[in-house]
Amino acid sequence: MSKVKNDKDAAQGTPGVINDSADQSGTPVQPDPFSNLEELRVSQDHLEAVGLKKQLITVPVRKPSKEWFVRVHPDPDYRLETAVVELKDEGEIYLVDKSLWPELACESTFHYKAFFTAISRPGNVPFLWPVRMPGEDGRLDSWNESATEIATSIATKEWTRCVSNRYLGAYEPQIASASESWGEPQWPDMPFNELLRLAFKNAFINTVDHPVLRRLRGEE
Amino acid sequence: MKSWLGQHYREVWLVDFEYGSAPGELPEVRCMVARELFTGRLIRLWEDQLSVLPQPPFKIDRHSLFVAYLASAELGCFGVLGWSPPQRILDLYVEFKRLTSGRQVPAGRGLLGALAYFGIASIEAAEKDGMRELALRGGSYSGEEKVALLDYCQTDVDSLAKLLPAMESHIDLPRALLRGRYMVAVARMESAGVPIDLETFKQIQDHWDDIKLSVVRELDAGRGIYEGTSFRTQRFADYLHRAGIAWPLLESGKPALDDKTFKDMAAMHPHEIGPIRELRYALSSLRLNNLAVGSDGRNRCMLSPFMSRTGRNQPSNAKFIFGPAVWLRSLIKPDEGCAIAYIDYEQQEFALAAALSGDEAMMNAYRSGDPYLAFARQAGAVPPDATKQSHKSEREQFKVCALAVQYGMGAEALAVKLGVSKWRGRHLLELHRETYPRYWQWSDAVEARAVLTGKLTSTFGWQVHAVADANPRSLRNFPLQANGAEMLRLGCCLATERGIKVCAPVHDAVLVEAPSGEIDRVVAETQAVMTEASELVVPGFPLRTDYEVVRWPDRYRDPRGQTMWNCVMGVINKLGAYAGQECRGADMHPVGCTNANPVHSYILYE
Repeated sequence: MSKVKNDKDAAQGTPGVINDSADQSGTPVQPDPFSNLEELRVSQDHLEAVGLKKQLITVPVRKPSKEWFVRVHPDPDYRLETAVVELKDEGEIYLVDKSLWPELACESTFHYKAFFTAISRPGNVPFLWPVRMPGEDGRLDSWNESATEIATSIATKEWTRCVSNRYLGAYEPQIASASESWGEPQWPDMPFNELLRLAFKNAFINTVDHPVLRRLRGEE
Repeated sequence: MKSWLGQHYREVWLVDFEYGSAPGELPEVRCMVARELFTGRLIRLWEDQLSVLPQPPFKIDRHSLFVAYLASAELGCFGVLGWSPPQRILDLYVEFKRLTSGRQVPAGRGLLGALAYFGIASIEAAEKDGMRELALRGGSYSGEEKVALLDYCQTDVDSLAKLLPAMESHIDLPRALLRGRYMVAVARMESAGVPIDLETFKQIQDHWDDIKLSVVRELDAGRGIYEGTSFRTQRFADYLHRAGIAWPLLESGKPALDDKTFKDMAAMHPHEIGPIRELRYALSSLRLNNLAVGSDGRNRCMLSPFMSRTGRNQPSNAKFIFGPAVWLRSLIKPDEGCAIAYIDYEQQEFALAAALSGDEAMMNAYRSGDPYLAFARQAGAVPPDATKQSHKSEREQFKVCALAVQYGMGAEALAVKLGVSKWRGRHLLELHRETYPRYWQWSDAVEARAVLTGKLTSTFGWQVHAVADANPRSLRNFPLQANGAEMLRLGCCLATERGIKVCAPVHDAVLVEAPSGEIDRVVAETQAVMTEASELVVPGFPLRTDYEVVRWPDRYRDPRGQTMWNCVMGVINKLGAYAGQECRGADMHPVGCTNANPVHSYILYE
């Protein structure tokens, strides 16, 4: 603010003054509000103020869309080899308690699968990527073999599209040319067990009387 | 009465002036009334008594508080009287605007509206209007009229004495004083005004009717949109079809013809649509006589500080030279021996989005010097060695996307704006989300905070209330606009206080003026204060500024309006040739339009 040139004689002997009662209060002087403007700043950290934190409550179980680029969590603790019942027509997949595996060994919908924790781009959505494992005979088709290779060796390091090539009979990896500039994915801050719980919260078979098994047996 | 004000100030002066103000001219002071809040001391002075005072008849030091309603007007009178401005200013208009920003106010935001808001009785609006007319009238005043005007002026001061206690608990004093400080800068800028080529302006005014007809013929040649001076929608639709331009349609299937659509489409098709937009505005809305140009060739008008919800200035489109008719800006011309400089923040909103959200990738993009190309690189859309020249169209798409995000634009609107598929629009927005995730978290938090607390506040305390039907996109955009406004306000304060002649603030820029020999130094000083201001708002993240200097006898140019301006000058020159005189306004321009046909379509002469 500009320095006032001369105000000491102001209000003295001025025409037009009707009621002149000088202030004698000796009011304390307020500190200069402009001496340090930074002190007047109001925080713009709305994230901190609101404490807004996104809560992950849904973890899809699915193959990556053919339009997505994906990354797979490189930590082996974020994978699981297990068995499922897969209802392809309904697009549903059920985790099966280990105690039931022997009993379901001959069920055609029963498969051994590996689940990889993955994340998509666009969307930054964490999901579990199921890939079929070799059966009792130790054989695996070329589709699932190539998917496993992509999930374990390539998508752990690069943003990768999993593109099917029916002439090849397998998936081909397409690495994003911008993979480096896209940087590392933002993995959810929760242990794998919790991700698994969210993914299969309503899809866990732990009894032979589970409605899905009863239906597969033709009991209802 | 002695409340918290009394704890801070020895004197609190409530002040009001009555003045006349012809368009573009400095105020003519009629009278002033001032009352000291604690003692009741009253000062009533007519113009002849005021003009002999070297300084105001009350204290204006840092122990005294100056209180007014829209203080820039009072401070303008200070300037005319040659008085120094008060050191501590509280503007109750600004504080009332802040208090009610984003809300409906039943009786408006004038002094009577503020009094009504707090349930305080006041004089009738009709009586106020009558007295204003008396103040505006000018000439000599009878003794009775003087008393009447002084009495009226005193009613406003007495109203301030009632309003101040009512508003006291709503006033955030240190930051309110900062806003009051800006009103001094506003008064100085309003007083300085923008230099206008008065001679050319008068020629345009004198021949406006003839010019309109000729300009329609010139600019519409080859388009066939107009019938006489009437815009024909079907002809326009036919032209769009012939030109292969995709245009937003209304539900009725007719082309949208609002100015915002024209503005967006003119940005995409500057040669095809730009001149049509200028023409439409010139024919439908432009009232040349409303452009406030004083007898000294300065465009002066009320800058309407804090008028918008975001706290930005909102001067009248019709009165301000930086209104929507961009071709008219070529009337801006420095006086002989002088130069002007337009100095603006580079990508101010992008920089604010980066710094306020703390998104490192976005901050790095800004630091790169070309944030839009950097965004394209970061998203992997162009190679690392891409340049503005090698990837022009990609850069343009990412630029539009980056700006669109800040206004909350959806994929479809973005696609239309870019003239690309909806898929491409969606993909660009996804790339923004992927590239700047921290920004998006922060933006989500802005909206959440507005909803949770009912308001948002900028760095130095400007606020907006998030009412129930508030637009979420506006809320998310508020911190960028409001902090941009804070930045420019601080820049204007610092610049004017350091003796720089600021002619006008223009959104994120200022127009300054100096003798030609000093303009380079003044530009450097202005850039320094604008950087300083930016760091007050976003510490540690200085914003860059760009500038353009115009020296006499050159004039200011806005490329968007150049075709229209050249066309108008062509008509003026032709008229001048017939009248045996030369148009000085056309001295820098070729005769006729850049895309005009040979001159067989000019004008009807008497």
